[in-house]
Amino acid sequence: MKKFGRGMATIMFGFGYGEGFPDHSIASIEIKEDERIVIRTAAADVGQGVITTVIQIAAEILRINPNYFEVVQGDTHKTKNSGSTSATRQTYFTGNAVKKAAEDMLANLYHYGSLEFRSNHPEIAIEDGKIYMYDDPDDYITYWEMAERVKERGEKLEAEGSFFPVTYSPDENGQADKVYVAYTFLSQVIDIEIDTDTGIIDLLDVYSAIDLGKAINPKNVEGQIEGGTVQGLGMGMMEDQVIRNGKTLNAGMTDYLVPTSVDVPKFKHYLVEEEDSEGPFGAKGVGEPTLIAAAPALANAVYDAIGVRFFDLPISPSKIKKALKEKEENS
Amino acid sequence: MMRKSPMKQESRQTISGVDFKEYFQPESIQKALEIRAEYGDQIEVAAGSTDLLVANYEKLHEIKYWLDLVKLDQLKKIEVIDNELHIGAMVTHLQLMKSDLIKKNLAVLAAAAEDVGSPQIRSRGTIGGNICTSSPAGDLLAPLLSYGASFKLQSTEGERIVKAEEFFTGPKRNSMETDELLTEIIIPLTDNKREGSWIKVGRRKALVISTLTLAVVLEFEGEKIVKAGIAMGSVAPTPVRLKGIEAVMVDQKLTDLDYKALGREVKASINPIDDLRGTKEYREDVAVDVMVRALKEIERKVSS
Ligand SMILES: Cc1cc2nc3c(=O)[nH]c(=O)nc-3n(C[C@H](O)[C@H](O)[C@H](O)COP(=O)(O)OP(=O)(O)OC[C@H]3O[C@@H](n4cnc5c(N)ncnc54)[C@H](O)[C@@H]3O)c2cc1C
Repeated sequence: MKKFGRGMATIMFGFGYGEGFPDHSIASIEIKEDERIVIRTAAADVGQGVITTVIQIAAEILRINPNYFEVVQGDTHKTKNSGSTSATRQTYFTGNAVKKAAEDMLANLYHYGSLEFRSNHPEIAIEDGKIYMYDDPDDYITYWEMAERVKERGEKLEAEGSFFPVTYSPDENGQADKVYVAYTFLSQVIDIEIDTDTGIIDLLDVYSAIDLGKAINPKNVEGQIEGGTVQGLGMGMMEDQVIRNGKTLNAGMTDYLVPTSVDVPKFKHYLVEEEDSEGPFGAKGVGEPTLIAAAPALANAVYDAIGVRFFDLPISPSKIKKALKEKEENS
Repeated sequence: MMRKSPMKQESRQTISGVDFKEYFQPESIQKALEIRAEYGDQIEVAAGSTDLLVANYEKLHEIKYWLDLVKLDQLKKIEVIDNELHIGAMVTHLQLMKSDLIKKNLAVLAAAAEDVGSPQIRSRGTIGGNICTSSPAGDLLAPLLSYGASFKLQSTEGERIVKAEEFFTGPKRNSMETDELLTEIIIPLTDNKREGSWIKVGRRKALVISTLTLAVVLEFEGEKIVKAGIAMGSVAPTPVRLKGIEAVMVDQKLTDLDYKALGREVKASINPIDDLRGTKEYREDVAVDVMVRALKEIERKVSS
């Protein structure tokens, strides 16, 4: 028999290292004569898309098509510290550092623009890679030509930005003004079906509502939600490290299972864009928060389906089948 | 004084890169058998190599001699000869699940083939490899037992036909000799109505070693069961045929049988262990319920 269950869980997640740790990110931007804009950041893109995100941010500030951008990433010779790709912090920290570098660059474009046109910056327009006077748009100089001009002066069209917010370590009562830079919130509803013959959980649908401040790249956000949730569900129903006498019995991925693409449920996402005051364009972090609600929501769905509460993970078919048997024997 | 740089760590891993001595890819069975006879247990027989490469992970370089069966096109056929189906040992899972002959006559085998691994594994892995690996969890093995399959083993000395239930002797052990090759799987056909059910229980939907498998094949004359084949995988050191239960069912009408009681018989006839895929208790309890499910499914198919 198949039994349907629906479960929900809500989480909040303080991101960044927090607790007074000197957490920061430094980025730089250079406009080159050969029609390239180079961003330098040590932020590692491990698939989450921080490179796409910082290009979008810089392109927005510098008012130019993202295609012109190139990113030098994670090279200790060429980049300064951006902190780790962990703690759900890169969009917020490196996003902000790049945004500040881009703002510095924009200000410099105005500066050199006003020298070029011998005018004041309110008279100057900057758009689509061109700098001109409002009253004569046809007489423009491109960013690339400007880079050439700046080079002739023995300077570089270059800017740097860093983001270094303050957090505080909690006191002995666990209290502080600001332990983390900000919090991401997520609620998830998970629908499942349990096969009572086999104790196997079939994942049907997952509905996620996430308060992420601002989705800089909605597709990447969906990727994070789906990836994180599937990892959380793997933890909830499959991943099981079995240790006996100090030895891990499942030493390979053959018997340490994670969900495959065909185990993945259907997703529906609701992005709640309640802008954060400090995040780049209001964005908050969307990495780890997407993983946390899945297992508790699953456990609640299991309870809804068969009326049994499980307090250790994974909720394996063996545990479900045994619980169903005990329930039957006791009734 | 300047700090010394940390010493470079010596790798303790054995270096592969040592080549094998011989790699044979014969184009006739006769030639393959001669090579097999000459090298015996020194040579690795390779079919789809999906088991072989995993079993020899990081020690492939230790294998000196290879006998690759890939060019033996004679072993890639599915044919009917004298009311028997002959399946070549090199037939892949993909071929099995796509073949009209198999789908029509051996639906349980086709369904099992469809549950093997993933598309990549199904298009490389072969029925011969599944049989010769002789894992108690090999997905094709319970269906082969329930259809009463026999295996043709050939050597330069001749050939012998071994019944499936006599072939498997222990976990990853079988009665094939080191000078033999498995060439064909032979399954009797019937004019009777044959219905069956395949159930694979695993902890995820793909790429999973079965926690338990059940293959039930029933042959009917009218409403009467004239032949029953019931077999399971992952519940004992070898895939097992449950002949005691088959005997109870023969000459009965399906709907007269007590499915739950038969399920309990199944539980009493198996000997599973606790492992990472499931507990002994789990396998026993599931065995009862999937037997009931299989019989209900056959009842539905017969009546429709
Ligand atoms: C990721 C993955 C998932 C898998 N999933 C499943 C699954 O869901 N279900 C399942 O049952 N199996 C599964 N397997 C195991 C394997 O794919 C199957 O058992 C497959 O049928 C093996 O066939 P092969 O042709 O690849 O065998 P090979 O690896 O080529 O050979 C296996 C063994 O049989 C011997 N051999 C092969 N053919 C002959 C012959 N004709 N004569 C004599 N000896 C022979 C070889 O010497 C070797 O010892 C999986 C394997 C992998 C790597």
